[in-house]
Amino acid sequence: MQWSPLARRECRTVLTSKGAWILTALIVLWGFRPTYTGWNAIGQNITIGYIQLGVNLLLPIGALLLTYQSLIGERTTGSIKFLIALPLKRTQILLGKSVGRFAGIGAIVGVAVLLISIIGVVEHGTFAVLPFVGVVLATALLLAALVSLGVLLSTAVDSTVSAAASVLGYIFVTLFWSTVVSKVYTAITGVPVDPYDAPASGPLFFALRLTPDGAYNVLTNWLLGVGNSAEQFHTVYTKLAPGQFINAFVVEAAFESGTAPWYLHPALSIVILLTWIAVPMALSRRVFNNGDVL
Amino acid sequence: MSEDVPVIETKRLTKQYGDVRAVDSLDLAIESGDVYGFLGPNGAGKSTTIGLLLDYLRPTGGTIRVFGKDPQRAPVEIHNRTGVLPDRFGLYDGRSARQHVSFVAETKQVDDDPEALLERVGLANAVDDNAGEFSKGMEQRLALAMALVGEPDLLVLDEPFNGLDPHGVRRVREIVHEENNRGATVFFSSHVLGQVELVCDRIGVLHRGRLVAEGTVDELRDAAGADDDAVMEDVFVELTDAPIEAGGESR
Repeated sequence: MQWSPLARRECRTVLTSKGAWILTALIVLWGFRPTYTGWNAIGQNITIGYIQLGVNLLLPIGALLLTYQSLIGERTTGSIKFLIALPLKRTQILLGKSVGRFAGIGAIVGVAVLLISIIGVVEHGTFAVLPFVGVVLATALLLAALVSLGVLLSTAVDSTVSAAASVLGYIFVTLFWSTVVSKVYTAITGVPVDPYDAPASGPLFFALRLTPDGAYNVLTNWLLGVGNSAEQFHTVYTKLAPGQFINAFVVEAAFESGTAPWYLHPALSIVILLTWIAVPMALSRRVFNNGDVL
Repeated sequence: MSEDVPVIETKRLTKQYGDVRAVDSLDLAIESGDVYGFLGPNGAGKSTTIGLLLDYLRPTGGTIRVFGKDPQRAPVEIHNRTGVLPDRFGLYDGRSARQHVSFVAETKQVDDDPEALLERVGLANAVDDNAGEFSKGMEQRLALAMALVGEPDLLVLDEPFNGLDPHGVRRVREIVHEENNRGATVFFSSHVLGQVELVCDRIGVLHRGRLVAEGTVDELRDAAGADDDAVMEDVFVELTDAPIEAGGESR
């Protein structure tokens, strides 16, 4: 494959950047948050829960910051003239960029997961292998979606400043996604959304899991067996614990048993994540293949 | 290298940016084995034309064929046989000269020795230095080494003398001759007129996006109505001073 040297170079670019290893440290520090709630929720599998906590927020920020310059950076410096002059189709350039960045950031996140696992085993003992493997694969899917998105931003904008602004915009929107969805839902239906006692609405709950991070949490909560929700695993546990009253959107809390619509099945989060990989990739390809690159 | 078709052929090639026509109905035919100098004042459309040949830019009209193929549809086949020294390029900061050349060699799937190529362009002492800290002349030499990877059948050199000291200029000239003797076709743009005269078999003069004259140095002197001993600068000024006729839009 003629694009594999490009992928290797992109991977090295990530691995030799300082930000990458800071991300590893942050994921470990941010993820390792032992709580009684977490322990009560999933016992020794809390180590796997740390991966979910560490990945939440930090992986989207880190992965987008490590990809948003991948193409616009080369356009700005003019090094893209060497890249385009190579015997590669434009689609192969995008592929090399995406695969290389994915591998580089994947290695970094892999090290973070390894460190969390070692700390977890030392602190809490061994954990179940299957959910662990599932959560690692889900994390890889989330990363692929974020890299796909980062490369799209880098392809579609015309300056590094716009690319950085788009990254901030994305983080901001996903951070306040449940508020955005609630407001829009209320505006359309006239039904107020109280997160302490959310309406049993399929579309509302479906919209809440449409972000890559939301879909990831739904998937990992399912693998951890805490419940069907885009919230973090300990929040889901608390929401469903008897006598607890917190503001969180959890399917089992809003719907009577067996009444939730089929499209809220947690496994469909895989489809959502795959869509987040495929659609930005297709858009990048369309933008990059058509028109001038300078 | 023998080709039945021209190595580069454009027909009514046009690139329009809004109201500005950077390249205007350009017809070019560069034959195999030519050393073709593409001359023109700043902003004449030389780099735009090269950008179109290399698929940096897409034409708004006309056709391009390189080795008989469309650059947009067959970039792999064309670029496997082409070496490029672009104008106003950037290098990868934090990577050595060796890594730059190796990257091109790996992608072209050839086993050229990066050190030998870097020595050839006069960078033997900077093989493992960070290219991000190179002077303009060194950058230019490194880009030339990258262009030479894989013994390309076509060398496209956009302002190759930029930033070079007299030793560097001479080296580029020697390399162009060596490559041409090996069988490569060389297409280069420049506004360094003396060098063009020394290096090229044929010259095309571009002015406001249009080819206003083409031929050997002597033929250009005739076209400009200049004396046999007129220097290239006089010929150039004469050819690019005249207004464009035939209703072409110009920049």
